[in-house]
Amino acid sequence: MNAMPKLEIPRFTFWRGVLLVILALGTYATVIRIFKGLAGSTNLTDSFPWGIWIGFDILCGVALAAGGFTISATVYIFNLEKFRPIVRPAILTAFLGYCLVVVALMFDLGRPWNIWHPLVMWNPHSVMFEVGWCVTLYTTVLALEFSPIVFERFKMTKTLHVLHAIMPVLVVLGVLLSTLHQSSLGSFYLIVPTKLHALWYSPLIPLYFFLTALTLGCAMTIVESFLSHRAFGKQLEMELLVPLGRVALLILALTSVIRFADFRHRGILGLPFQPTYESRLWLAEMLIGVLAPGILLAIPKVRKHTTGLFLAALLIVMGVIMNRMNVSITGMERSSGSIYIPALTEVFITLSVVGVGFLIFALAVKFLPVFPEHEMKEARPIVVPEGGNVVGQPLRTLPVPALVVVAIAFVGAAALGADGVRRREVAPGPPAPGATKPELAAALASFQPPKEIVFPQAPDSPGPASFRHASHVDASAPDCLSCHGNTYSFLGRKEAAPAGQMHDAKHCGGCHDGTSAFAIDADCSPCHKAE
Amino acid sequence: MKPQTKGLLLDTTRCIGCGACALACKERNKLPKTSDDVLKDELSDKTYSVVKQVGSRYVRRMCMHCVTPSCASACPVAAFEKTAAGPVIYHESKCMGCRYCMIACPFGIPKYEWEKKAPLVRKCDLCADRLEKGLKTGCATACPTGATTFGDRNALIAEAKERFRANPGRYNEHIYGVEEVGGTSVLIISDGKAEELGYPAGLDGTAPAFLTWRVLNIIPDIVMTGAVLLGGIYWIRNRRDEVEAAEGSHHETPKEH
Repeated sequence: MNAMPKLEIPRFTFWRGVLLVILALGTYATVIRIFKGLAGSTNLTDSFPWGIWIGFDILCGVALAAGGFTISATVYIFNLEKFRPIVRPAILTAFLGYCLVVVALMFDLGRPWNIWHPLVMWNPHSVMFEVGWCVTLYTTVLALEFSPIVFERFKMTKTLHVLHAIMPVLVVLGVLLSTLHQSSLGSFYLIVPTKLHALWYSPLIPLYFFLTALTLGCAMTIVESFLSHRAFGKQLEMELLVPLGRVALLILALTSVIRFADFRHRGILGLPFQPTYESRLWLAEMLIGVLAPGILLAIPKVRKHTTGLFLAALLIVMGVIMNRMNVSITGMERSSGSIYIPALTEVFITLSVVGVGFLIFALAVKFLPVFPEHEMKEARPIVVPEGGNVVGQPLRTLPVPALVVVAIAFVGAAALGADGVRRREVAPGPPAPGATKPELAAALASFQPPKEIVFPQAPDSPGPASFRHASHVDASAPDCLSCHGNTYSFLGRKEAAPAGQMHDAKHCGGCHDGTSAFAIDADCSPCHKAE
Repeated sequence: MKPQTKGLLLDTTRCIGCGACALACKERNKLPKTSDDVLKDELSDKTYSVVKQVGSRYVRRMCMHCVTPSCASACPVAAFEKTAAGPVIYHESKCMGCRYCMIACPFGIPKYEWEKKAPLVRKCDLCADRLEKGLKTGCATACPTGATTFGDRNALIAEAKERFRANPGRYNEHIYGVEEVGGTSVLIISDGKAEELGYPAGLDGTAPAFLTWRVLNIIPDIVMTGAVLLGGIYWIRNRRDEVEAAEGSHHETPKEH
């Protein structure tokens, strides 16, 4: 690949252009969301109340920010100092990620101005209450973890000293909070054993969410390093990234073993191979997110190959995104009895949230000492290789089996996905009404005409008037709604209308007009009881 | 559960599909008419109770008022509350609109005001205010056949059993809601099975909320164990470096700032 400077500038501008378009569409969608509400800006319905704003922006957003706690634990707690150069970008990404999750949540909440309610209106039985608190606290911790960068920029040494002293406490707190809410995002679904498809519903779903977040933490760090490398010319620390790849492989393997045991225990080992929408998408998720990156990372030659490592990490990222989307959307569709496809405005908002993330990250790198000074090459998007593995090695130098695995993963997942969508069906609803009306003889035996209603005597009335249901209703085919529901109340209001009005068309006179029923002006005695 | 907890007994074998329950519900909740044929109505933010022909019988759908409600467990701001009297009520001023209640409900009951700028969740509240005044629910008041009967939950269970006993062969002798999802305050008896009525079948006796609580309960343990573990690892890993430094080992931990 010839990375010629004259090609680099339009390339960079192209992405800027894309970002501008995305932000413009996002602004448009925001206006629609504000003025037309959720009905006008989303395809959400009573049967499908959570869409991509929860599935992607929240569930994936939080998971994608997992690099923050993974790396800070590695450096500060396990004291693996060599990883220190990537702590700051990881924490920055996490902090941005969480801020954007909160912004995205504001779009999804029906009453976003009440977003602070969980902080004062407690429900300790609610997973979402716990997640709300964890995310709030963790975002604060991340802000503190990130703040040295800002204080450094403005040379506030005293504050820096304090922060440095409490950093281990912050990191322990951060790791604990992350562990809790990463897994709790999975716990959201513990309460719907009959709604979430068995391929994803498991008593272990909190553990799966935590383990996939850990894998993703490693993978995202690798992917971010590559993107920073390409965009900002930052050095690629392969000596750090390769071990991260190995850790990711380890956790992938562990998760797979647990998942196998879990499936066996629940007796659903055959479920993934049934020809259904869910099974196809589950297989695609496993192919992209577990099998393919697992094979790639298991081959040392591929793991140490810059492009090979990047591809493996990218596959893991895609796999976790597919997992969160499958849990929140694919797995919930059948039981909901509906099919959900996001509205364009939903997609625009989601894209904008991602775009804003990239934008702020780029600005932060430009104005704050995110990367150690000496690692920044001159502001050139791509560093020309001088020798060794500084730059992404060309794809063609990857071992052939690895290329085959990547090809199979993408083609296979696309084919599985397409076949799955073709098989998409909703659960049969309640049995359709029979062609004939139900047989009511037995039910009618229980029919008891409501009691006689006695209207109190109005002034200049000959006496209290009584209304007898028994003589007004055909007990063999009672039709309550011919009177109730429109003209007459079901629940009370038994007082007489003002003098004289009982005879008008709104009251007894409506029927007793001499045509439909006997007129009421001739003789008082049938209704009014004389004194 | 307290014996005085109120509830409803729905008996599909007594229902004549007159629609009185649904319209009485609309009247009590001051809801607009949503259809010309009351039997065609669907549950929505404007309809909290419906009666529909399902197969060869008429079946009501409304909030089941679970004994351990999933919605109340899921809600992060405790906007739902199971009152001692039986109803699951909604404190709308607390709601932030996350709609987790709608996800959590095993019966798909809570509905949302999607069209509104400040939307709220809507569902039946078992006429909680009428109950406080000693009245029956609107639907039970309007029902002319006893297909909807109001009373103490325990008394309703006894009543259902009595109907089974007095009418051999008439019922599929199962009271839906005694065990399901840990019990509901609305109970259903019928000549058909749950799935024939369009109700979720195979719900076990554990309230789904317990599945969450079981995990939430171990959180304090995770926090304490985790804090000790992480703190310990931190101490050991750094102590090693300090000792090395004190013993005059060659390298000092490279500190960045």
